[in-house]
Amino acid sequence: MQETKKKQYLAGMKAAVPVILGFIPVGIAYAIMARQAGFTVSETCAMSAMVFAGASQMMAVGMTEQGAAILVIVLATFILNLRHLIMSTCVMNRMEDGSTKTRLLASFGVTDESFAIFTTQAKHRSAVYFLGLITVTYLSWNVGTFIGAVASDFLPEILTASLGIALYAMFISILVPNLTNNWKLGALVAMTAVCNSILTQLIPSSWALIVSTLLCAFLGVFFVDLKEEGGDEQ
Amino acid sequence: MSGTKVLLLILGMAIVTYIPRAIPAIFVDKLKFSPKVEKFLKLIPYTAMAALIFPGVFAVDAEKPLIGIVGGAVAGILAWKKCPVMVCVLAAIGADFLLYTLL
Repeated sequence: MQETKKKQYLAGMKAAVPVILGFIPVGIAYAIMARQAGFTVSETCAMSAMVFAGASQMMAVGMTEQGAAILVIVLATFILNLRHLIMSTCVMNRMEDGSTKTRLLASFGVTDESFAIFTTQAKHRSAVYFLGLITVTYLSWNVGTFIGAVASDFLPEILTASLGIALYAMFISILVPNLTNNWKLGALVAMTAVCNSILTQLIPSSWALIVSTLLCAFLGVFFVDLKEEGGDEQ
Repeated sequence: MSGTKVLLLILGMAIVTYIPRAIPAIFVDKLKFSPKVEKFLKLIPYTAMAALIFPGVFAVDAEKPLIGIVGGAVAGILAWKKCPVMVCVLAAIGADFLLYTLL
């Protein structure tokens, strides 16, 4: 029993390895922005340790630099991170074990990346696997932040720039294999891509993401067939 | 911003970020969803990822859209050929690194 738990935890850690390549450079970029906005090294690191949400942290230090009020920044953070409500619902619905306490701990690690990995792979559905996953994502986010906070010009610019594609490449390579034998799901993905690209022009992108995710998933219920997803359907 | 204010800001952000993450941890396993809702929840990862990728991937480097397009295409083609995620990610980074040295 213990042995399998350990194995699942390690499997989760292994699945998160590609995220390291994305989180460390983004963590560095955030920390550089924070230091330029006047945050101390410990404040910069404390935010990553306590908030653990990259896009909103960058937004917050940017707003601070422009002199925004605390309440406004907190409200903007809430709106930007509201998508985690949807993602956490999917993660928790897929997780087949774990006490409420374990789940509360696990929920802290729900990010775009851990959600994407956990909800699309076929085998692992345990809380321990998810904890392994988020151990690695959380550590890389905080290590990246620390590197950026203490030594901002540590990495050559061309390398950090090239690493900018990492998280997108990860999402793409998780997504694509699911579409090769399910053209209806592919059509849904294409539809969502178009929908979000249009909405982003019209409303703030954090709302566009939420609206297109929910709207297109709702429409997909009526025409996408998920049974081809091999063994997932019980 | 003073030290106390920054601390207040970080605490406020931590709370409003954790609440949406935590609510499903408390409620979801106590709910039984209908098959239609289950299907809706199963489709969300795909639509969410589509929305996370597009249109953001074109703005990886705001001044050079080619960086996002080439890196994304490399990852997409290799993933289509069933390469592991890590291979796709490294290849995309390598392609962009090459592109930056050429541009």
